[in-house]
Amino acid sequence: MKIYISGMGNISPQTTFDNKNFLDEIVSHEGSRLNIVDPPYKEILNPRLMRRMTRIIKMGVTSAKICLAEAKVEMPDAIITGTAMGCVKDTETFLLAYGSEESTLLTPTAFIRSTHNTVGGQIALMLKCNNYNFTYVQKGFSFESALLDGILKLKEKDGENILVGAVDEMTDNSYGIKSHLGYLKEGIKNSLDLFQEKSKGIIAGEGSAFFLLSNKENENNYAVLSGLFMLYKPKSQAEIENGIQHVLSPQGLELKDIDAIIIGKNGNEEKDGIYDDFLKAFPSETAVLGYKHLCGEYETSSAFALWMAARMIKEQRIPKATIIRKSDAKELEHILIYNHYRGINHSFILVSKI
Amino acid sequence: MEAFATKLKEQIITHLNLEDLTPEEVGLDDPLFGEGLGLDSIDALELIVFLEKEYGIKIENPEEGKQIFESVNTIAKFIQKNKNT
Repeated sequence: MKIYISGMGNISPQTTFDNKNFLDEIVSHEGSRLNIVDPPYKEILNPRLMRRMTRIIKMGVTSAKICLAEAKVEMPDAIITGTAMGCVKDTETFLLAYGSEESTLLTPTAFIRSTHNTVGGQIALMLKCNNYNFTYVQKGFSFESALLDGILKLKEKDGENILVGAVDEMTDNSYGIKSHLGYLKEGIKNSLDLFQEKSKGIIAGEGSAFFLLSNKENENNYAVLSGLFMLYKPKSQAEIENGIQHVLSPQGLELKDIDAIIIGKNGNEEKDGIYDDFLKAFPSETAVLGYKHLCGEYETSSAFALWMAARMIKEQRIPKATIIRKSDAKELEHILIYNHYRGINHSFILVSKI
Repeated sequence: MEAFATKLKEQIITHLNLEDLTPEEVGLDDPLFGEGLGLDSIDALELIVFLEKEYGIKIENPEEGKQIFESVNTIAKFIQKNKNT
């Protein structure tokens, strides 16, 4: 059975939310902090619903709404969300009030919103959807776990239209903590220069991307989601190469059949060598593309890469801003996404032409 | 009293994040819950916290809440009455 991506909504540090611009006009960010470009929320969301939404909820609900509208699906059979950190801002608001008011005058809204499954819950409330609703909080595997659940539901014929997405936000405090821990790159002037940087640290990002997975063939579908594999703390390069085979072999594909590879290179010289070693397995003429200079590093950033791959497959073009290594391939049939989060959570996602 | 009720209306709009409403659109006697402004039980909890934080008034008996939160005017009267006691 083929699993199609039939709709997408992506809110990111680039102007991606309208599904028109495909990284033609790039937003460069100063320093090591990439916040999303806000869509016109008031034009998309009901103001009455919006009043109880903080930034991450607005991001999540809006990207889900854009995705469903594009797929022309009003009621998904499941809503599956992946988030590593959940509603950080609301958790902060609640905990700060808890600390400063000695827990006597706590407002309920921040507490209610502070749980990880708030975004999935708000999407369900908006749609009045009582179907399966699950949120995966698995650090660097949060999005992949949600995706796997969506794939399994379709394969088991437990639904025809599954809404799967990822959402993570960055707040002043979470950025400050990352900075304090020494995770961030110092002195970077322009996020687009990320791959020229030879230094430790990352640029932090955030975003929300939702996908409508369906088992129905449709001319508007973007691409086929043809493989997914997760690898936790691989001990050797051989394990990573084995991971590649886990997604290619079931499709009868070889390394040379991959037309482009999207890697999660994030400019951190301590961990980017993993990508360099990974690429050695592939023919040198395979195109290599990057995305973290566009959206930053965060636990669920592979959702941005999946959005990119699906659009590339549908539009049969590679935006200039993503190219790390060019290729002469005339057709984009198979794109492999390889990402790792802090060298711990490694994932392989294969996207193919319909 | 009316000036106070108008100020209170603005505070409620801000506190409950009723972004789509202007103070002029909310009548002092309009019902706040149900078919009126459409506030819900979470808003009721927010209003209880608001009264305590802003005016130092605690609603001891939750049964009273229904009457107190009927409209902006009933809340204003409740505050005036309890501030003086």
